[in-house]
Amino acid sequence: MKLAYEKPVINKLRSGLMNKFGWSPAYARKVRTNIDGVSIDDLVERYGSPLFVYSERTARQRYRQMYNAFSTRYPNVQFGWSYKTNYLQAVCALMHQEGAIAEVVSAMEYDKARALGMPGDQIIFNGPHKPYAALEKAVSEGAVINIDHLDEIVDLETIAKKLGRTVHVGMRLNLDAGIYPQWSRFGFNLESGQALDAVKRMASGGKLKLNGLHCHIGTFIMDPQAYAREVEKMVKFGYEIEDAFGFGMEYLDIGGGFPSQSRLKGVYLPPEVAIPNIDEYAETITTALSHALKPGDFPKLIIESGRALIDEAGYLVTTVVATKRLVDGTRAYVADAGVNLLFTAFWYKFNVELDREAGGVNETSVIYGPLCMNIDAIDEGIQLPPLKRGARLIFSPVGAYNNTQWLQFIEYRPNVVLVTTNGEVEVIREAEDLSDIQRRERLPKHLELLKKA
Amino acid sequence: MKDLSHAVFRSYAEVFFLQGGLVGAALFGITLLNPRLGIAGIIAVLSAYAFARFIGLGKVFLESGFYTCNPLLVGLSIGHLFQLTPLAVFFCIAAGVLTLLVTVTLANVFSVYFRLPLLSLPFVVVSSLAYMASLRYGNLLTAGSHSPAYLNDDFGLPAWLAGFFKSFGSLLFTPSVVVGGALAALILIRSRILFLLAALGYAVGTTVRYGMLGSPAKAFSDPLNFNFLLIAMALGGVFLIPSIRSYGIAAIAVALSTIVMDAIAGFWSYYGIPAFTLPFAVVTLGVVYVLGLVGNPLVAQRIGKTPEETLETHLANRLRYPGTERTLLPPFAGKWTVWQGFDGGWTHKGAWRYAYDFVLTGDDGKTHTNDGTKVEDYLCFNKPVLAPVRGRIAHLVDDLPDSPINQPDKLNNWGNLVVIADPRGFCVELSHFACKSLRVKVGDWVERGTVLGLCGNSGYSPQPHIHVQAQVLETPGVATVPFSFVSYLADGVFHANDLPQEKQIIEPLYANKRLDAATNFVLDEEYRYSVRRAGRDYDELKLKVRMGLDGTFYFDSGRATLAFGRHEGTYYSYRYEGRDPRLLAMFLALPRLPLGLRDGIQWHDHVPVGAVARGLRGALVGVASSFWPKLAEVRVTQTCTGENRLDTVIESTALRLRKTGSVVFDRNKGIAALTFDGWELRRKDEAN
Repeated sequence: MKLAYEKPVINKLRSGLMNKFGWSPAYARKVRTNIDGVSIDDLVERYGSPLFVYSERTARQRYRQMYNAFSTRYPNVQFGWSYKTNYLQAVCALMHQEGAIAEVVSAMEYDKARALGMPGDQIIFNGPHKPYAALEKAVSEGAVINIDHLDEIVDLETIAKKLGRTVHVGMRLNLDAGIYPQWSRFGFNLESGQALDAVKRMASGGKLKLNGLHCHIGTFIMDPQAYAREVEKMVKFGYEIEDAFGFGMEYLDIGGGFPSQSRLKGVYLPPEVAIPNIDEYAETITTALSHALKPGDFPKLIIESGRALIDEAGYLVTTVVATKRLVDGTRAYVADAGVNLLFTAFWYKFNVELDREAGGVNETSVIYGPLCMNIDAIDEGIQLPPLKRGARLIFSPVGAYNNTQWLQFIEYRPNVVLVTTNGEVEVIREAEDLSDIQRRERLPKHLELLKKA
Repeated sequence: MKDLSHAVFRSYAEVFFLQGGLVGAALFGITLLNPRLGIAGIIAVLSAYAFARFIGLGKVFLESGFYTCNPLLVGLSIGHLFQLTPLAVFFCIAAGVLTLLVTVTLANVFSVYFRLPLLSLPFVVVSSLAYMASLRYGNLLTAGSHSPAYLNDDFGLPAWLAGFFKSFGSLLFTPSVVVGGALAALILIRSRILFLLAALGYAVGTTVRYGMLGSPAKAFSDPLNFNFLLIAMALGGVFLIPSIRSYGIAAIAVALSTIVMDAIAGFWSYYGIPAFTLPFAVVTLGVVYVLGLVGNPLVAQRIGKTPEETLETHLANRLRYPGTERTLLPPFAGKWTVWQGFDGGWTHKGAWRYAYDFVLTGDDGKTHTNDGTKVEDYLCFNKPVLAPVRGRIAHLVDDLPDSPINQPDKLNNWGNLVVIADPRGFCVELSHFACKSLRVKVGDWVERGTVLGLCGNSGYSPQPHIHVQAQVLETPGVATVPFSFVSYLADGVFHANDLPQEKQIIEPLYANKRLDAATNFVLDEEYRYSVRRAGRDYDELKLKVRMGLDGTFYFDSGRATLAFGRHEGTYYSYRYEGRDPRLLAMFLALPRLPLGLRDGIQWHDHVPVGAVARGLRGALVGVASSFWPKLAEVRVTQTCTGENRLDTVIESTALRLRKTGSVVFDRNKGIAALTFDGWELRRKDEAN
């Protein structure tokens, strides 16, 4: 076969020695030929490219690993599956099967959980925007409500009055756990006394019964001690209001924010080194809890993890549709999926794997997405061997936030499949076509184009 | 007046091992068939009752009829012997009062020293005294045999059958077919088991004596035959759990009693006194005492109103409460696997057989990751060990090293350990903690669930695990005693108080605070429910919380009671008594409730068969289940269907019965709504 002509470029010669992580920049490749035994070729052939692939086995393993880490250290643990992380029905159902209840932050997510068959009392309703109608429905169905602001107290009191009974509620706190940034926009601030004022307000209203505290200190928290500080402050505050107002704390919801094994942009160390093991979080949190709680008191510890449970179970299989040399000599590839499907590309440096061995010396390369937009670059500096058009790149972990934040922008959204525990492949979301995109649109009569014969 | 009539009539029922005012009233009626007798009897009871109140014996003691049944018998015996002259009435009163004194005295002696019931011993004592004394009292006019003619009619029955009824009659000093027949009918209505036992006793006793005496007439007509009836009823159905074995014991005791009876009768007759019920008392007490000494499981712990009730309560309770009173919460959080249980294959043997070992296993069933050569590879290593009981730390060891895998430390068997002294009177030892991991010190008070230290591999331990045992002393390593675990899930099924099997994966279930508060029913609280039956409005049910004499709390509907309580993380409906289908529906829909309710968990319970099989069917099942206990097995399966809801299914394969119900709890207190088998109850007072 005749090779295509390519303009010569000068590449910096690397020694080929391993660096301290055992990684040879010149020849190292990451190759993944299959996901849980189903070959990439097979998957693409049957379901097209790009393709989101979830591993049921990994998702369940991650759940059990994390749940066991907490439940073997504290006797009253409940996980709440964070819908916003990934609300594909199959994913939510899998988490519920494993024992998680639903954690939702909007009327839409609440409806989704109900539609999936979760009863109201198995749903935690959080978030700054709970429309009155949705709130009323949630209260009457017995959902756990964590109040975000004073106006919500007023709404809930109105609902309590209408239903003619006291309503059990939890409240969200924000506090200084010694990390930056401090998420102060949600809930009531603890240190300034705002939270205590809110409790006073509830007590004087007489319609609401506070029975739980909620807090979520941030996301991708890499310091377990931050949770220890959070837990200590929450328990202390819980006992303060129990003594002052008689509100017994039935649960402590410490939110989520646990990191997955992803590499954040700008972090030098690989995730296996930089990110503490989940057991370290569990150990730190439960030790802090057992020191802070009164003997014999075991309120329910609710954990609303999302990312740490599902991120590693998701892969995105893409195909190189074009290869290029940029003007500075850098090799560039255009893949059939970009930031439209990988929202997390803005802060993650993904693990990129090839679907087969490829010869040649690694070169610093750029991977662009298919959008006709300058921002659509998935990786702007990755060591890859020379790839041909049609080569496949597998991005991971992509299970968290991508299938909820992906854009219907320029391209159709592709198939999402699940490789089940027994190795079968199930489509859990079909690829879109034009009808999905236009179904809600209405074209006014006077704008209809004359049909050409 | 009502109290008085209750107490009086109950003394009549008590004579025949029955309880209840109505039966007593009927029996009173029967004694009046021979008016002289009936009047003398009631005089003795009333005088004993009045004297008892006079000396300050409380109403509640007298209510059962226990203290006044012996005076009744004495009165009857006097009425049997003398004409009712004013003098005889005085004699009756005096004897009644004397019997009460003897009863109170003997009751104390017997219960304290022998832990035995009294039976009719006071009657035998006082009646014998009265008869002996009366030999000197010429002014007391002996009654002739001029009783009403209908009392002497045998209605052409064969001798053995007439003899059977007459021995019933002899129980009331009227050896007559009419009286005996009425009595037999009454007993048959109240309890088929008692009636069958009476027949058994009569058959065995008379057959043996027929053989010995050689004369059927003597054997069938002996006025002392009623002793056979009493022995058989008392042993076969009252003091022992009705069963084939108890019937066997009853038959043996009756056969033995013939010797006692003939000896006593012969001896007593020198002094002109009848043997009365002395053979019965001697034989029955002797057998009960011996069975108690050898710890025979047949001895009834709770004697019901009838043998049927004793039996169904026993059969249900045997299945309902399999655990012990030394209750431990599993000493960990999360799902652990039972590695070795009681009488285990490795080390739980001999004096140390009551112990449990727990390990953590992964999805693959292995207890470790990697190749399992280091203690750190083991899933349970360094996991917290929690206090299974509340108590004081009595003893601990903390400085032994963790043994390498498969190289246990033979010198320090128990390794690092903690002994907790439980205030209930026993100790719990936990072993094999990780080196220097203890978070308590001697003298500390720990609550259940407190972290004691971390799981390790010190001592005689091939791989990291938790060892737990109960013992009477604080010294580590002494002989163990039985215990059981409370409030745990095994394969999704909740166990309130039980022993998990080896290889079972169990997880402690901690009480949910809200449910704990919601089932904390306080004295005098009132709950009102609107009741619907088969979809139509029925009436209103009002329940009030009250406390019984034994400290048990119960719901009172006015027509029935439902005793309830909470124990170690479980709410129980202990007993339903009375007649109120609405309260019965409540009992059957919720026999028990784990206070750590969690969606999807299931649990099992059993209810007494009488609660679901009533009428003729219930009567047949009552007798039959003494031969075939499985018949009385009514299994309840309950499933939690949400934070505060559950479904109930009651099934009996033997009876081909299946009923369903559901319960919804109020978010603040009690049950909000309940359905069972066509009944619907909905809370009226507060709808939360």
